[in-house]
Amino acid sequence: MSDNTNTILVVGGGISGLTTAAEAAEAGYNVVIVEKTPYLGGRVSRMNKYFPKLCPPSCGLEINYRRLKFNPRITYYTLAEIERIEGSAGNFNISVQLNPRYVNEKCVACNECVAACPVEVPNDVNAGLDKRKAIYIPFEQSFPFQYAIDDASCKKSDCGKCASACRYDAIDLNMKPKVIEVNAGSIVLATGWDPYDAKKIDNLGFGTSPNIITNVMMERLASNTGPTKGKILRPSDNKEVKSVAFVQCAGSRDENHLAFCSAVCCLASLKQATYVREQYPDSKAYMFYIDIRTPGTSYERFLNKVKEDANVSLIKGKVAKVETDPATGDIIVTAEDILAGGKVKVQVDLCVLATGMVPTVGKVKLPDSVKVNENGFVVPGKDEHGIYAVGCSVNPADVAKSVQDSTAAALKSIQTIRRNS
Amino acid sequence: MSEATLIKPDIDFVKGVIAAGGESLKKCYQCATCSVVCNVTPDKNPFPRKEMIWAQWGLKEKFIGNPDVWLCHQCNDCTAYCPRGAKPGEVLGAIRKQTISQYSKPGFMVNLVNSKLMMPLLFLIPAIIIGIFANFTAPEGELVFSNFMPVHYIQLIFVPAFMFGAIVGLMGMMSFFSDMKKAQGISSGNLVGSIKALIGDILSHSKFKSCDVSKDRYLSHLLVFFSFVTLGIATSFGVLYIDILHVDSPFSLFGKGAIVKVFGLIGAIGLLSGVFLMISNRYKNAGKVGLGSYFDWLLITIIGVIMASGILSWVTRSAGLAEAAYLIYFIHLVFVFSLFVYLPYSKLAHIFYRSAAICFNKYSGREAAPGR
Repeated sequence: MSDNTNTILVVGGGISGLTTAAEAAEAGYNVVIVEKTPYLGGRVSRMNKYFPKLCPPSCGLEINYRRLKFNPRITYYTLAEIERIEGSAGNFNISVQLNPRYVNEKCVACNECVAACPVEVPNDVNAGLDKRKAIYIPFEQSFPFQYAIDDASCKKSDCGKCASACRYDAIDLNMKPKVIEVNAGSIVLATGWDPYDAKKIDNLGFGTSPNIITNVMMERLASNTGPTKGKILRPSDNKEVKSVAFVQCAGSRDENHLAFCSAVCCLASLKQATYVREQYPDSKAYMFYIDIRTPGTSYERFLNKVKEDANVSLIKGKVAKVETDPATGDIIVTAEDILAGGKVKVQVDLCVLATGMVPTVGKVKLPDSVKVNENGFVVPGKDEHGIYAVGCSVNPADVAKSVQDSTAAALKSIQTIRRNS
Repeated sequence: MSEATLIKPDIDFVKGVIAAGGESLKKCYQCATCSVVCNVTPDKNPFPRKEMIWAQWGLKEKFIGNPDVWLCHQCNDCTAYCPRGAKPGEVLGAIRKQTISQYSKPGFMVNLVNSKLMMPLLFLIPAIIIGIFANFTAPEGELVFSNFMPVHYIQLIFVPAFMFGAIVGLMGMMSFFSDMKKAQGISSGNLVGSIKALIGDILSHSKFKSCDVSKDRYLSHLLVFFSFVTLGIATSFGVLYIDILHVDSPFSLFGKGAIVKVFGLIGAIGLLSGVFLMISNRYKNAGKVGLGSYFDWLLITIIGVIMASGILSWVTRSAGLAEAAYLIYFIHLVFVFSLFVYLPYSKLAHIFYRSAAICFNKYSGREAAPGR
């Protein structure tokens, strides 16, 4: 058994990819992680708290980073993309393009470059809630802790101000992409998800007021590492958010948008209601739902706990109209309160659209043997294919389910390698 | 806790709604998007979400004396935004058809009129009735329609036909109104004021203006409505000339009875444009809301044929094409007769029931003020 085919390729360095990598490596197999952003941790690294325990994801990530750092069997590439996958189970040849970071390991994170950079773009890490420079560190706990230059917005040698500002010779604006070859016995797809584009839901008003945000934005708004350092202020005027409406199924369970249930939004909104309620004791939270989906004992218990709060109202009836009050900037949501039998209009400081998950696996250059269904998720293939999809590349899933999936996929990948050696 | 309710589903009612164009009924999962995107629904107990579950469960009695299915103008905003493709607009249309049979007596006529299988019979019977009075032995001499069908025969057939349709409809309308009062527990209100407001709504077509998806229907319905009014005026002038002034037809645009022709022509052109718009709107919105059911198309067809045959009979008569003119005129008479007789059983029954429902909604105070 050659050392190469003893290798598992993991596409995606989020919680699923990290888990698969750590589990397989700790069982004695080599792992190569290919991550397209400049950092590992994926969407979980941008979460404020986990449901139902309401603990910060950063501590779980910390543990995974340590498992990675101190395990010589794991190699990871950030800013890397799959160019081509050839071969079959037991012997895949994968070309990986490594995009330039323009910052080398001499970087000491002194931040002089950021001060010098004249280019400002919407900060994708904070879901566009604030701006960042073209050279940036994604967040304070980024792993690897290394600055990066955003290829699309940086003017490179036409500007060069960051390179002049750097006293450590850590910026190389002439870095070029390069392609490396990886030989692996099996492949795990852990490509994750994007939030559904809320602008497409034209009756929910996203884009018409900064006070209509998505649940992904809300996570950043409540996070200590977010644009407001964890203080929940509404975007239009930085007013404290004393009332919030959660609009469930914003695009999910809707054949005009995403035909499936995104699985996490009900729990996410319940969780986010606690963010507001904890920060402002006199605040009110309204959650408008079709059905509240919190399956399993611990999730049910969490629902019941949130329900006990008299300032949290759960209203059965989907919001289908979202308007802005021009005088106050408040948001007015309209729904039919099915159980009460009448239309309700609720005026709130902030409206959170619980947008669903769009799988991103379709953006990866995959071999034809990998089938994707009409919703964009991978159709699980036979074990002989040697390619396994986990987490949100195969189904809408929360972190707990994704981690279980990933551990299972690590075992499946090992079995594939053993079978073919 | 409230007392247990025994639900008695009427399976035939469910099947009837599904057969009448509500085949998507069972897809509804009660999210209530429809009740919110609808611009004509009241705030209190809005439709159509509740109607969807009543119909799914076969709760036929819920629809007795319920104005809401008739407050719907089927602009299909609900259907366009429905996340499940349950098409509440189409379902409510199908329920309306089902409830027409409760009030337009005899009820079986509704199913007869709106059954595809019965279509040949639907026009054959009027053809026979008119055929009995018509002179098919290609009248010699001057090409005048009264040679084919004397005017007093026309009056003998069409006045009772119209009266029949109108009386059945009005009786249905009144019994619907009293059922609404009973079912909604309303004993008194301002009837005259409500009727006035209703007429205002009808003339301004204000309800249609609130629709989003099928905005264009405002214009097409307005055209069709006022064209019928215009044609009614033309007919009244005709009666005035023939019966009171004893001026015989045919009338001429530039001669005697010109006013009949002027109104007739304006009505015909209006109707032509209105029906054309209706059809083209349906095709334009088909992707979002579907093409509509047999119930819808039967009425569009009848009106379309009346308009086309009316214009063509005039054209062929003026051109001196005797055989074609008499045949087309015969078709015209058959379809006008059908329109009158089937008035309370076809989609046109909405003249009675939608008016009653809108009026009741004002009478009961559920709709605060006109043009809310």
